[in-house]
Amino acid sequence: MFHSKRSLRPFVFVLVSVLVHSVSARAEVAGKPFNPDLSVNFLGLLRDSTNASENRSTAPYNGLSLQEAEIQFYSNVDAYLKAVALFSVAEDSGTWGIDPEEVYVETTSIPFVTFRGGKYKLALGKHNQLHTHAFPFIDAPLFQTKILGEEGLNATALGASLLVPLPWFSELTVQGFSLANEDLYNDPVASTSPPTGKTGFLARYRNLFEFGDDATLELGASASTGKNAFGLSTKLAGGDVTLKWRPAEGGKYHALIWNTEYLRAIRAGRTDPGGSGVNDEKIGGLASYVQLQFAERWWIQARAEILGAPHNEVEPVHTKQSGLLGFFPSEFSGFRLQYDHEVDHARPKPDHAVTLQYNVTIGAHPAHAY
Amino acid sequence: MKTQSTLKSLLALALLASVASGSAEAKLNVITTIPDLRSITEEVAGDLVNVESLGRGTQDPHYIEAKPSYMLKVNKADLVISIGMELEIGWLPSILAGARNPKVNAGEKGNLEVGSSVEPLEVPKGNISRADGDVHPAGNPHVTLDPIRAGEIAQKIAARLGELDPPNAAKYEAGAKALVSRLTEKSRDWDSRIRKSGVTQVITYHKTLTYFLDRFKLENPAILEPKPGIPPTSGHIIDVIKLAKEKKIGLVLVENYFDPTVTTKIKQEVPGLRAVTVAVAVDGAPGVKKIDDVYEGLVKAIEGSK
Repeated sequence: MFHSKRSLRPFVFVLVSVLVHSVSARAEVAGKPFNPDLSVNFLGLLRDSTNASENRSTAPYNGLSLQEAEIQFYSNVDAYLKAVALFSVAEDSGTWGIDPEEVYVETTSIPFVTFRGGKYKLALGKHNQLHTHAFPFIDAPLFQTKILGEEGLNATALGASLLVPLPWFSELTVQGFSLANEDLYNDPVASTSPPTGKTGFLARYRNLFEFGDDATLELGASASTGKNAFGLSTKLAGGDVTLKWRPAEGGKYHALIWNTEYLRAIRAGRTDPGGSGVNDEKIGGLASYVQLQFAERWWIQARAEILGAPHNEVEPVHTKQSGLLGFFPSEFSGFRLQYDHEVDHARPKPDHAVTLQYNVTIGAHPAHAY
Repeated sequence: MKTQSTLKSLLALALLASVASGSAEAKLNVITTIPDLRSITEEVAGDLVNVESLGRGTQDPHYIEAKPSYMLKVNKADLVISIGMELEIGWLPSILAGARNPKVNAGEKGNLEVGSSVEPLEVPKGNISRADGDVHPAGNPHVTLDPIRAGEIAQKIAARLGELDPPNAAKYEAGAKALVSRLTEKSRDWDSRIRKSGVTQVITYHKTLTYFLDRFKLENPAILEPKPGIPPTSGHIIDVIKLAKEKKIGLVLVENYFDPTVTTKIKQEVPGLRAVTVAVAVDGAPGVKKIDDVYEGLVKAIEGSK
């Protein structure tokens, strides 16, 4: 879960100090108007899976756990910039750690373009940009974790996002980023071997079309390249389509979302660590899901995934089907029950898993993207 | 290598585009968050501005989705008019950020929050907690449902339009004055009709109608939501039925974006009680085309409950 382990004590001290200060400041209402908005989100799990054990040093494990806590600060810096600082607290192999998941500044005063600098989730597809508590399912899709790693493509970067002047919503995002993702740019055998390039590049183009007041169709395409440890390029390409329906009349009680996302990676020069001798690893994965809101606070969902599309020599085909029932008492809390059936051809038996998650947010949390 | 150079070119294109600004148009483009504000702006400005509402009259204004297409509309706006008072806090900030239009950022002349310009009701006292439901620290935000406050809002909008478009300032002021005069006169008639109806108490689903009920001196002894934003529970409905019987309340007004079936049990248990679904926003029902029609519809619903 974490790139590095650190002692929690100094961070906890700083965070508690800031939390106490901020909470008391909010109680005074307008007394300290320049404090940033502060929110804490935390996710708890109760999990039972046929292929997992109760050994808490190997994730995922059966039983109760705190999946993650996120502490977010958000504020305008001045008349030109706003800033976000989001820290993630989670357990990795039995050890707790805290990481700066996203810390960035963004322009607010330039027409048509937003510039963003700092460390953040890059605009590779749709799912990669989501925080854990905003995932449509309890877990990330296979293509995300198996290709990009547990943390996804999250790096120190500088980017620009242009609102293209067209009659419909059309946005072009370009980003230059550090090649810090070990799954993509390092040699899996000699993990200390650094990437040979300094900066990777990424572009995403997305368009959204409206069908009356009730429905939208979003189409996105992303591509990225960066020099890896072998002096060759690791290339990523993906596409996503999202259809949303929420009627303008009765929309409090009914909605439908369908999303499909595909991601493909070519890690040139990478030799199969399993010893097959295959070079230039190519791997692709697809996930498709439907979410149906059938009452004011209830959702039912289904997801199908495949990793190994097209099939490659290194990774055996891996499939997964999931079903989810969600209950949201308010916009600040939710309970989700998910069933997964997963077939990994590298393992002798399919996995059946049932997971219950609670998802709670306190404080002033900014709205999620559409 | 070729891909990298293409991506660098795209970055350069984005930089160049940042210095380009939209072309000027003769008419101001005004975006409002809710259709009531669109209607008031139309009354103030007539054909002098282009005005469009993001929200629809059939939608709960607390929970409108921040569609990217709204960002495109706000990108072209000279003025964004909202209620404020945290009514649109769940969706408007995302739209403003995504619009990439510095003219309408909070604090700029192109951004007008009208809620704070009228006297608020139900401002919570003491500690505020989400345990109390969807509480608004600045007070109940449904201010446009009072015809007199709607007139005050019209004057605020006229003043801001005048700042943005000085040659037409006098016309905006005249438009606002005409609306104030009309709504004041009609309010006397609405008040008289409500008095004649004999209705003095109304149950509502949410605290949407607070300003209307306060203006026309109608009591609101029960709300179907146990707390603001929390859907009705069976236990709470039983309490409401008891209260309706005790206080002899004869009318339930259900705002048009809520599920009216919740009143079925109340109607069965309280003889003579009538439940009416009412438009609480412009375009909230067929025929509700302007702000006057909202009040007229509410008065008719009350009159019909003798």
